[in-house]
Amino acid sequence: AGFCNEKIPPSFLRNIVSTVNLACKLDLKNIALHARNAEYNPKRFAAVIMRIREPRTTALIFSSGKMVCTGAKSEEQSRLAARKYARVVQKLGFPAKFLDFKIQNMVGSCDVRFPIRLEGLVLTHQHYEPELFPGLVYRMVKPRIVLLIFVSGKVVLTGKWCLSLPAAHCYLIF
Amino acid sequence: ILDVLPRVTCPNHPDSILVEDYRAGDMICSECGLVVGDRVIDVGSEWRTFSNDKATKDPSRVGDTQNPLLSDGDLSTMIGKGTGAASFDEFGNSKYQNRRTMSSSDRAMMNAFKEITNMADRINLPRNIVDRTNNLFKQVYEQKSLKGRSNDAIASACLYIACRQEGVPRTFKEICAVSRISKKEIGRCFKLILKALETSVDLITTGDFMSRFCSNLGLPKQVQMAATHIARKAVELDLVPGRSPISVAAAAIYMASQASSEKRTQKEIGDIAGVADVTIRQSYRLIYPRAPDLFPADFKFDTPVDKLPQL
Repeated sequence: AGFCNEKIPPSFLRNIVSTVNLACKLDLKNIALHARNAEYNPKRFAAVIMRIREPRTTALIFSSGKMVCTGAKSEEQSRLAARKYARVVQKLGFPAKFLDFKIQNMVGSCDVRFPIRLEGLVLTHQHYEPELFPGLVYRMVKPRIVLLIFVSGKVVLTGKWCLSLPAAHCYLIF
Repeated sequence: ILDVLPRVTCPNHPDSILVEDYRAGDMICSECGLVVGDRVIDVGSEWRTFSNDKATKDPSRVGDTQNPLLSDGDLSTMIGKGTGAASFDEFGNSKYQNRRTMSSSDRAMMNAFKEITNMADRINLPRNIVDRTNNLFKQVYEQKSLKGRSNDAIASACLYIACRQEGVPRTFKEICAVSRISKKEIGRCFKLILKALETSVDLITTGDFMSRFCSNLGLPKQVQMAATHIARKAVELDLVPGRSPISVAAAAIYMASQASSEKRTQKEIGDIAGVADVTIRQSYRLIYPRAPDLFPADFKFDTPVDKLPQL
C-alpha cells in the first residue's frame, strides 16, 4: 500500500446516462417511420429506440417528449449526443427544445493494479457474498456511489460523481 | 431472547426457584415461602397422549401450545361438531358451522412458520435455528418493507440468515434444495432482509462446511482435519484469490481424500458440496503446486504428495 499513495490510478468513464426534456408531445410512429436507425415496438416498450454513430449512443424517446440518452463516454459527449437527437426530432417537424439536460448516472472503471484481499475490507457499508457475486459491493455515502471491488484490483464505480472523487476514496481504503 | 411469559420472581430472593403449587395455582418462593404468583393459570396440557392409545377420541379440551411470541394473541379454540339435539337447527344443519378461522390476521405468518418447519426438517436443522428463523420472519413481516416478495422466498432467506447467525451456515444451494425458490430470488431477499433489519452477517469460512461435507462423504476424522488445515492454509497464503470458500473447501477435501486411503472422486465431492467438478478442478490446480506445505505436519499419507493426481 506504500507506493500507491503517490499515484492514484486514473479512472475511465465507460458509460453515462442522461435525461433531457424536449418539451413537446411526440408522435412515436411518425418518428419511427421517418427516422433512420430507429426501432419502435409498442407492444414491448413504449418508446422509440434511436441510435447514432457519432458519439456512439442510444436514446429512448418517449411520447411525452422526455428522452434518455445512454452510452456516451464523457459528459460533453453525452450532451452533444442528446443535442443531436433533439436535432433529429426537430427536423422531423416537432418543436423540440432542450430543457433540463441532467446526467443521471456515470459508470467508470479503474484498476489499482494490485490484488485486493476482500475479506480484510469488509466493514459496515459493504456486502460481500462470495457465493452470490465475486465482487464486494461498497456503497459510499459521501459521494453517493457504489463501487464493485474485485480481487484482481479492478474497481467499477457507478453513480453521480466527478473525476476527482474516486481518488479520494482510493486513498481512504488504503 | 426467547422469553415468553413475564417471569415472576420473589422480591426478596430474585434468584431462587419458584415452586408451583397446583392446588391453588400459586408460585411459591423456595427460600422464604412467599407466594409470588396467585391463581396463576396452568397452561400445560390436560391429558398426556401416548402413541399406543387407539386414536379414537382425543379427550383434550384445550387448544394447541400457546405461542404468543410469534402469533400474538393465539387462542386457538375451535368449535367442535355438535353431539346433542340442541346443536342442530330446523333443517338438520348444524348450528355454529364448522370451526371458525382463528387468528385470520396472521394466517400467512402461521403458514410461513409451517413452511419453515418443513424446510428445516428436510435438512435436519435443530429447534434453535427454527426458532431464530421464526423470529426473523416475524420481524420482517411486521416491518412490511418486503411485503411484495413471496413469503416462501422470505422464509428461505430467513432460514439462511438464521443458520449463518448460529455459526453453522448452509450454502445457498443447500437452502435451494429444500425450497421451491430460485437461488437468485433467495439471494435478493437475503440482501433486502439484511438491509431491512439493519443487521449484518459474518463472512463464511471454509471450516464451517468441513464437518458436514466430510461426514456426508463418509470420510474419517483425520481426513476432515487435514482438509480443514489445507483449506485454511490455502486461504492464508492467498493461493485462491476470488474463489468462493465452498469451492476451496471442496478442492481441499479432494486433495485430502486423494492423499489418504479414502479416495473420493471430484464428481462425488461436487455432488455433496453443490459445486461443479470443473470448479473443483480449477481450485485444485491453484492449490496443487503448494501441496506439501498445505498438509498438516502429522498427516499419514496413503498416497504420497508427489503422487497426487494432477489435473
